[in-house]
This record gives sequence, structure tokens and C-alpha cells, in this order.
Amino acid sequence: MATALPPPPALSFPRPIFAALSPHPFLQAHLLSSTKSPLRANGRQPSDFRSLGVNPGSLTHCHGSAVVRSGNTSVVCGVRAEILREEDVAGTGSYGTKSTSEQDNDDNMDDEADDDEDDAEEIADLRLLVPNLELSTGSTPLNLPGTAPSAAAQTLITRLHALLLATRLVRAADLRIAHTPRVNAEDPDTTPLRTVKGYWVLYIDVFFISLDGNAFDAAWLAMLAALGGTRLPRAFWDEELEMVLCDDDVALARGLRLRGLPVPSTFAVFEGRAEDEDVGDGARNWVLSDPDAFEEAVCRETVTVVVDRGGVVRKIEKSGGGVVGREGMRDCVERSIGRWGVWEEVLRKA
Amino acid sequence: MNTDRRRINAPSGGTSAPIFARTVKEAGYLQSLRPTRTRSPNEPRKIFLQTAIIPSASGSAYLEIPSTLPSPPSKTLIAPTSSLKITASIQGPKPLPRSAPFSPSLLLTTTVKFAPFASRTRRGYIRDSVERDLGVHLETALRGVIIGERWPKSGVEVIVTVLEGDEDAWWGDGCITVASAAIADAGIDCVDMVSGGVAAIVRNPSVKSRESVDALVTVLDPCPAEHQHIVAACAVGYLAERDEITEIWMKGDVGASPDALIEGARHAAVGSLTVLKEVLLEAVKGKIRGQVSQEEEKIAQQDIEMTG
Repeated sequence: MATALPPPPALSFPRPIFAALSPHPFLQAHLLSSTKSPLRANGRQPSDFRSLGVNPGSLTHCHGSAVVRSGNTSVVCGVRAEILREEDVAGTGSYGTKSTSEQDNDDNMDDEADDDEDDAEEIADLRLLVPNLELSTGSTPLNLPGTAPSAAAQTLITRLHALLLATRLVRAADLRIAHTPRVNAEDPDTTPLRTVKGYWVLYIDVFFISLDGNAFDAAWLAMLAALGGTRLPRAFWDEELEMVLCDDDVALARGLRLRGLPVPSTFAVFEGRAEDEDVGDGARNWVLSDPDAFEEAVCRETVTVVVDRGGVVRKIEKSGGGVVGREGMRDCVERSIGRWGVWEEVLRKA
Repeated sequence: MNTDRRRINAPSGGTSAPIFARTVKEAGYLQSLRPTRTRSPNEPRKIFLQTAIIPSASGSAYLEIPSTLPSPPSKTLIAPTSSLKITASIQGPKPLPRSAPFSPSLLLTTTVKFAPFASRTRRGYIRDSVERDLGVHLETALRGVIIGERWPKSGVEVIVTVLEGDEDAWWGDGCITVASAAIADAGIDCVDMVSGGVAAIVRNPSVKSRESVDALVTVLDPCPAEHQHIVAACAVGYLAERDEITEIWMKGDVGASPDALIEGARHAAVGSLTVLKEVLLEAVKGKIRGQVSQEEEKIAQQDIEMTG
């Protein structure tokens, strides 16, 4: 033909467009590009976590607060304590009598003394810990305000609440407000009994400023950092006014003695697809630590391992597939134990 | 007490905020903690502003007015003042859903939400009237600035989250400024940059007689904790280049001449505009610098082969 066709435009797109058009091959091409050390699209190795930043005590109106950054995910958590009066406690009040006997040795107990005290039921039944979370702050295009919390947000907060109760992080003894009357009204000769006059209820509110994957770990780290820095004012029963009052002296406020340091690590399993049948079984799988939003969108199977001091596994959650078997889980736990050290250091320095 | 089944609920008996013994037993204890204004009446507070804090949003900004707390840590747990911390996030413009009716211009939705820990009393998750009111005012302030005709059949969400608010301040000058910065960061075409400003008439505590002319002072950018008696206040959304006001709202006993108060609010808005301009200019410079270095990087870094 005489009229020369213009050269066909080169079939190349910039990276973000490729990622949006075909996310799965995009990530697979990245992981396959180097056989020795596969790199993810975000430049991390499959076992790399993102770096953490914790900034505690940044909010004025909270008893404890923290701002946490993990890569592009940033979270604010505020802990606010309010008082639940004893007469408002719903139910039979069986904890009141049970804790009375325990309260006797309450004053001289050490950190370890009541470690075995079974207070999980008390905290759960009285709802002394009220965590909540907000994703619809413009932190992600998927959650817009004006609607009820999405299924993802509800799942997330339920998981966080369950972990909070299962790890028995907060002691009920720290939340009780007890009172010993000066004289025993019934029998002036015997020593008066300590009674519980109220409880501190901790409202733990997590606000996402920016969400780029792995909301669970970031929210938990924020909660852990905020609870670690929480200082409750000294509360006492005022016999004159017959109400619980607090002391505004900073020196008398005390912190919470948290049990252990449970650290969750989330992994996403990227299932590779075989490109050609004749190449053989080319389908490979990668277990990606600390997935970002893009990776979460292309992965189905997720594993969350919670480890505590000394490499003790506290909880394992796994859903969405069957790729991670016994060996894979061992690898996940090993990575989680490594991650625990990073968390511990970050929280200690904060 | 109604329960929200989608969230974790508080004990059904209800809880109360802690009451401090000294506030009950010593009259005037709270007043003694109250800070006094050390700035001159027409000197606004320092603002910290940053754009592009949320990578997944098309535009975002963070505004902070640090509190003027004394440097040695105070001995009381009752915070006399707090800082102002607001984030704004822009999602869009993006096409409206198919079910939505035709719109010849950009549909603007504004949401203002206080975090539960933003104020002295705990707030709920469901938006209350104050938040809805602020949202409407913010929408009016922004609507006059955006050139909506350039985005037919599209919608944009402006989401403002107050992480920490001034006490009982009802004005949203910070919301306007931070939303304006986020809109500029998102690259949405505007006729000008809008900025917020507040002025208030306060009773001067040093003048005893209530009828005296000096009893009332007009101050720019009032901090609610510093003034016990705010007689009237006025907030504006102001376009400095065009000398236009897109939003004005006023509360209290203004007296015979509200012009002086509006003028004061306008001056405060100009003050926050200088910060806004500076920050946006810096952000644009940073972006250009980033682009240049990215291109250099591209040459060095090999693209990854896509097969299949």
C-alpha cells in the first residue's frame, strides 16, 4: 500500500494503569521477575513487614492515646475511661461478692500475684472494654461516610474485641473502684469489708486516618500503645456525697498493668496462576507479610498469628483458602516471632 | 438505651464521665485553670498545615493549631485547653452511580465528623445536629468556589474528621481552611482559594462596669477556653483575591453594627490564607522535584517484563 500506516503505538502502560487493569498478573510478574529474591510490587520482599512508628499521648481529652503509622496506614486510638456505678451494673451482681474476697489482698498484690485471677468473664459480662472503630473517615475509597459501618468494619471490630478479651490484656482489678467503710455498719467491732462501688469502663476508639491494607495489625498496635499509656485518675467513694469522685492530681493517677504483649501479624497468600500448560505446573504461591491494600485485593487467603512474649502463640486465624499447611504455618509463626521483637522495641521506645 | 448492633456497645446501665473532687468541693477551681489570652486582640494563633497525608484519597490535608499549654507538665489531669486537630479527605470526583439522576455539575457532599474523643464530653458515632450543621455550612462555603460545570455527572466527597476540637466552639473556620487545602491538593478547579476566619466580641474581664465602651473587645481567632464570656462570634469563608464571601454565619448579640465583626473575621481569614498559600506552594514544588527524581530513577531501574 502506498499510504504508509503510522507505526502502531507501543503497547505499554504506566505502572499504575497496569496495576489497575490486571492486578493479578501485575503482582505475579513482579514476584517472578527475580528467582533469587522475589520482590513485591511495593518493593518489599515477601517476608518484609512495613516499618512502624508510634506516637503516644497526643490527644488531650483522652486518658491514653496513640498515633500509629505502618507504611501508608495511619491510625489514631484514644482510650477514654468513664465510670459505671455499682447500682447500674446489669445482672445479679455476683462479681461484686466474688471480688470482695479477692479485694482483701488487693493492696499488696504484685504484678504476678493475680496473674491467674480469672477475670475474663467479669470484663466480658460487664462490658468494661468498649472498642469501636471508624473506617469511614475518607481513609479509603471503599468506605464512605453516611452509611452504616460496612461488613469489613464490623468484622474487624469484632475480631479486635475478641482478641482483647481472649488475651485477657486488661485486668479487672485495675478497673474496679473499691471502698472500705471506716466502720462496719452492721457490727462495729469487726473490720469493715471492702465493697466494689463502681468500675472504670474503657472506651477504646480507633479512627483510621489513612488505610493501606492490614487494618487489623495497625488497629491493634494503636490500641496496645494507647492502653499502655493509659493513666486512670485515682477514684474513690465519697461517703458524704455518696458518689464516686476522682482526684485530679497527676501523681496519684496510675497506669494499667497489661498482661503480656500479644502481637498479631497478618499474612496474605498470593496464589500464582500457571501461564502455560506445557511449562509444567507453574503455579506458585507466595505468603506475603503485612499486605497492603493492593495485595489484599488480589489475595483470598489470609492468616493472622498472634504471638506473645517468649514466642508463645496466643491465637491463629486463617480463612479463605487451603494453601498454608503445616509447613507454611510454621513459617508464618517464625515470621511472627521476628515481628514481635520489632513491636516490642517500638512500643518500649515510645 | 438503644443499642447499635453494628458496633460494640457500652454497658446497658450507662456510664458517666469522671467527676473530679476539687471541681465539686472548691468553687472556682475550674476557673482558676482557665488560661488567659496572651496574644493581642488582632493576632491569630499559629497554624500547622500539611497536604497529601492520605495516599489513597485524591486530596487530603491536616490542620493543627497547637495548644498554648505551659511547657512544664501541669499537675492536674483536667486539661485547661486543647489543640485543634482536623483531617480532610477528598474522594473523587468520580462518576455518579447509574441510578442517580442527571446532574449538569459536580455534586458536592460534605461530611463533618467529630471523633468520640474529640471533645471534653464523649461523642457518639452517629452524627449529631452539631456535626450536620457544620457539614451544611462547609458545603455552602465550598460550593461557591468549585467550578462544578467541569464535572457533569460526577460527585465528590469532602470528609472532614475532627480528631480534637476546641471546647464548645461551634464555628468551623478550621474545617473550611483544611477542606480548601485538600481540594487544592486534589486538583479540583476552583475560582479562588477559600479560607476560614473567625472573630468574636468578648467581654473584657479587666473592665468592671458592664456599660462601659471598653467592656467589649473584638478579637480575631478566639480560643474558647480563653474567654469566659463570648458575646457574639462570626465565621466567614472568604475569597481574598476576589474579595468575596461565600459563607457567613453569626451567633450571639452582635449589637447595632455587625460590619466590624465581619471585617474582623475577614482579617482572620486572610491570616489563614497566607499559611494555606505557603503550604500549597511548597507542596507543588515538592511534587515537581519528586517527578524529576522519579524520571531519573526510571532510567536506572529496569521495568519488569510482563508476559502472557
